[in-house]
Parts: sequence; structure tokens; C-alpha cells
Amino acid sequence: MAVRVDGSKCVYCAGCVSVCPFLALTLNEVKIIVDEKKCTECGTCVKACPAKALSLPKKISG
Amino acid sequence: MEEYDAVVVGAGPAGTTFAAEAASRGMSVVVIDKKKELGSPVRCGEGIGIDFSSGRKLELPRSCIASDIEGALMFSPNGKSIKLTTPQTKGHVLERKIFDKFLAMEAGRKGAHILPRTMATGLLKENGKIAGVKAVSFGEEIEFKAPLVVSAEGMEAKLAREAGIDALATLYDVDTCYEYEMVNVPCEPFIEIYFGSAAPRGYVWVFPKGKDVANVGIGVGGSSGADPKKCLDEWIARNPRMKKAEIIEVKAGIISVGAPVKKMVADNFMAVGTSAHQVDPVHGGGIALAMKAARIAAEVAAKAHSARDFSEKTLSAYETQWRAAESRKLEKRLLLRKVLEKLSDDDFNAVIGMIDSQDLEKLLSGDFKPIVTKVVAKRPSILKVATALLG
Ligand SMILES: Cc1cc2nc3c(=O)[nH]c(=O)nc-3n(C[C@H](O)[C@H](O)[C@H](O)COP(=O)(O)OP(=O)(O)OC[C@H]3O[C@@H](n4cnc5c(N)ncnc54)[C@H](O)[C@@H]3O)c2cc1C
Ligand code: SF4
Ligand code: SF4
Repeated sequence: MAVRVDGSKCVYCAGCVSVCPFLALTLNEVKIIVDEKKCTECGTCVKACPAKALSLPKKISG
Repeated sequence: MEEYDAVVVGAGPAGTTFAAEAASRGMSVVVIDKKKELGSPVRCGEGIGIDFSSGRKLELPRSCIASDIEGALMFSPNGKSIKLTTPQTKGHVLERKIFDKFLAMEAGRKGAHILPRTMATGLLKENGKIAGVKAVSFGEEIEFKAPLVVSAEGMEAKLAREAGIDALATLYDVDTCYEYEMVNVPCEPFIEIYFGSAAPRGYVWVFPKGKDVANVGIGVGGSSGADPKKCLDEWIARNPRMKKAEIIEVKAGIISVGAPVKKMVADNFMAVGTSAHQVDPVHGGGIALAMKAARIAAEVAAKAHSARDFSEKTLSAYETQWRAAESRKLEKRLLLRKVLEKLSDDDFNAVIGMIDSQDLEKLLSGDFKPIVTKVVAKRPSILKVATALLG
């Protein structure tokens, strides 16, 4: 599991890339690529994204 | 594999200024950028002071400049304003798509090789030492071998972080920004800054690009929890002047408003511009600082090149010179940001109500004492947040 990108909201600003402590994100021209092996779901990028295009997967309880 | 004296990652103002200066000093330089169109997308309010070339000759073609700015207007939440027309507030609103391309052309004219659509994916190492950059260029993997790697990557700074530079931006020390370029916004030739809770820990800006065109943007503190797009949309909706405004372009980004990185060089490596968090902590401006740093860095790089010595020790002359020129000013600005972020709407209303443009000029230039004394005399409750400025 890893952070999810809503491509229809993303404005390719690279803000998320800049704050990810685990270098898990890459902006390739017009697409954010998430390295699922590196993402720890820490949520930092979700808070930084000015377009609110990122979200964490909902935890399945129980 | 291609070999150069220096490989520069990022073709923003920092990277292309470095490349132009290093190439004119006889170095073979390549500048790579992952963008297919240099300068686009824009992540900037495009404002710049008149003295941005710090005395050097740089004739900007008129096409790079959208408008000339005569001063600044600072607004409190209740709508009162102070007008500043000091030399520091005169300047331009740029057309960055053209400006960034113009700087790249200048670099090319000086002999630098420029490669768009080429993304650095990591550092190339030889015997544990930085020896170039691994990249993907137009879909092909490629290696650029060079004894000097320059990170001009802007906020992303992934290579800089790989090289051990503390360029990771923390939420507390960034502003997260959303901006529209809009038409039907009646404008005077003044940049406008709006403080207060409409933009938690940041500000709303209107930077005129013409008589009826402006960049209308907002920055909010990265740890404020505020949604910048929502705050901006609400501010526009509340503002009768924006009634007919139409969006022409969406721009966004995050920008460092903290301290510069602790160390800007390593063996065979330099970080310049926003990659090294060389940004003004009060307004988030970084174009002029990036260009100035790049000039210093290129001068030092050329000396290192002649001496065939790219050790951290040799390259650190860049950092020493940069800090001597900028550190004190930026430290004061950071102090001021940390006080501004604690002010309530009532505080802003009171302060802007009781000071004049001369007081504000002093405050912005780092002469805090007179204004703090004046404000605290009338509004003692501010002393608690403002004492930091007296230290
Ligand atoms: C919303 C907003 C408003 C702003 N308003 C202003 C303003 O009004 N005035 C002002 O002076 N400053 C402003 N700034 C700051 C200003 O935009 C930056 O400080 C300035 O662009 C820094 O220049 P730079 O060359 O260091 O980096 P950038 O201009 O960010 O250039 C970095 C380049 O590196 C490239 N890059 C990054 N990683 C890689 C990689 N791995 N491989 C290849 N290429 C890569 C990027 O594509 C980019 O082109 C604003 C910033 C934001 C976010
Ligand atoms: S959730 Fe954390 S680790 Fe995952 S991409 Fe975002 S910032 Fe990086
Ligand atoms: S911070 Fe948000 S808008 Fe910006 S590139 Fe990342 S996902 Fe897209």
C-alpha cells in the first residue's frame, strides 16, 4: 500500500516530492510516480499538497 | 556516456545562470531538466526586485517583463493599507516562461549544452566519490560523467539529498501555495499583500501583470492545516473587485520559508538556489537569490576547475562568500516571519493602523527596535510575541 494520487486534481507542482522524507515520489513531467516500496504512508505529502490530490488508503479495521 | 567539466541538474534561474557563467569561464557544461518546455509549468508569483541582477549587466528583453512595479501595498484584515515606494519595493512582474527560456538561451550562447526532457535519477559514483549523474533522456538511460555535479533542482532537491545536503523541506518551514493568473482584475502598478487569517501563516498576493491581468495567489503555512485552494477561492469570492475575474492559468507549488541548508557543498557537489533553500522567509522570493548564488558558485567552480580540485574544502569558498553576503539579512527575515506568524487579525489591524510607511520600511530592512517600541507602547499584549525581535 502507498499514498494515492488523484491525477484529475494534481497540478504537477512537485510539492509532495519536496517534502517526502523517504524519496518515495517522482514527478515525471505530468505524472507523480509513487515508489510503493519506499512509501511508509507517513502522510507528510498529503498535508503539503496544495491541490489536495493525495490521500492515504483507508485502513481496514478489525 | 557523455563527459563534461560540470553537469547541472535543473534549468531554472539557478542552473542556467550557473551554466552561462561557468561556460564563459571556459568550462564545458551540460544543463539537464526533466521539463520538455523550460520554464513551464510556472510555480511562481513572478515578482522580482529592480536590483535582481545585483549590479551585473543583464539586459532583459522586454518580452520577459509583464509589468513594471512602482511599490507595494500591505493590507491588514480590516482593509487598511500602507503604501511603500522604497527602491526595494520597485521591480517587475516577470513572464517566467519567457524569462527562464531567455536565461537558458544566454547559457546556450555562452557555450553550455542544454538538454530538456532529461531527468536525473541518481548520482554516478566512482570509488565512492561523486563522478556525475545518471539520467533518463528522451526515454533512454544515459550517464553524464563530470568531476562537478551542481544541484539547481529547486525544492525537490532529490540529488542534493542523495549527496548528503539537508535539503528535505519540513512542513513547518514551507508555505504551500495556489495561484491563478486572472483577467478582469483592475490593477495599479503596485504589488498587493494581504495578511491575516484569510491565509493562515502566510499571505494572499495580487501581482499585476498588466492593467487588468494579475497573479492572484496564496501561501499558507505547511503545518497550518489550511487548504490553500479553498482559502484562495473564498478570498476571491469575498472580494467585489474580483467579481468579473476569470482564470487563465493555474499555478501552484511549495516554497521554503525556513533557513538555508546547513551545508551547501560536498566533495564534487554544489547546491545552488532554492535547492539550498536560498529563499526569503518572509515573502518566499527566490529568483534573485538563486541567480546571485549561481554567480558566486560559478566563479568558485571555475577556480576549482583550473586547480583540478573539486574537494569540499575548495568548493566551500562558494558557501563562505554566499553566507557573508546573505546570511545576516535572511536570519533577520526568518525572525520576522516567526513573529508575523503569531499575530492575530486584531494584532495586524492594530499594527497596520498605528505605523506608517517609514516604520514599515525599517521593519522590513531589519531595524526592528523602533517599531516594536512604538507598537508595544500602544498594544502591550504584542510584547510577548515581539520580544524575539529585540534580542
Ligand atoms: C507559488 C510560488 C510563488 C513564488 N513567487 C515568487 C515570486 O514572486 N518571486 C520570487 O523571486 N520567487 C518566487 N517563488 C520562488 C521561486 O519560484 C524560486 O525560488 C525560483 O524558481 C528558484 O529558482 P531555481 O533555479 O533555484 O529553481 P527552479 O526554478 O525551481 O528550477 C528547478 C528546475 O530543476 C528541475 N529539476 C528538478 N529535479 C530534477 C531532476 N531530478 N532532473 C532534471 N531536472 C530536475 C525542475 O524541473 C526545474 O525546472 C515562488 C515560489 C512558489 C512555489
Ligand atoms: S505518505 Fe510519506 S512516505 Fe508516502 S509518499 Fe507521502 S511523504 Fe512519502
Ligand atoms: S503536491 Fe499535489 S498537486 Fe503537487 S505534484 Fe504532488 S500530488 Fe500533484
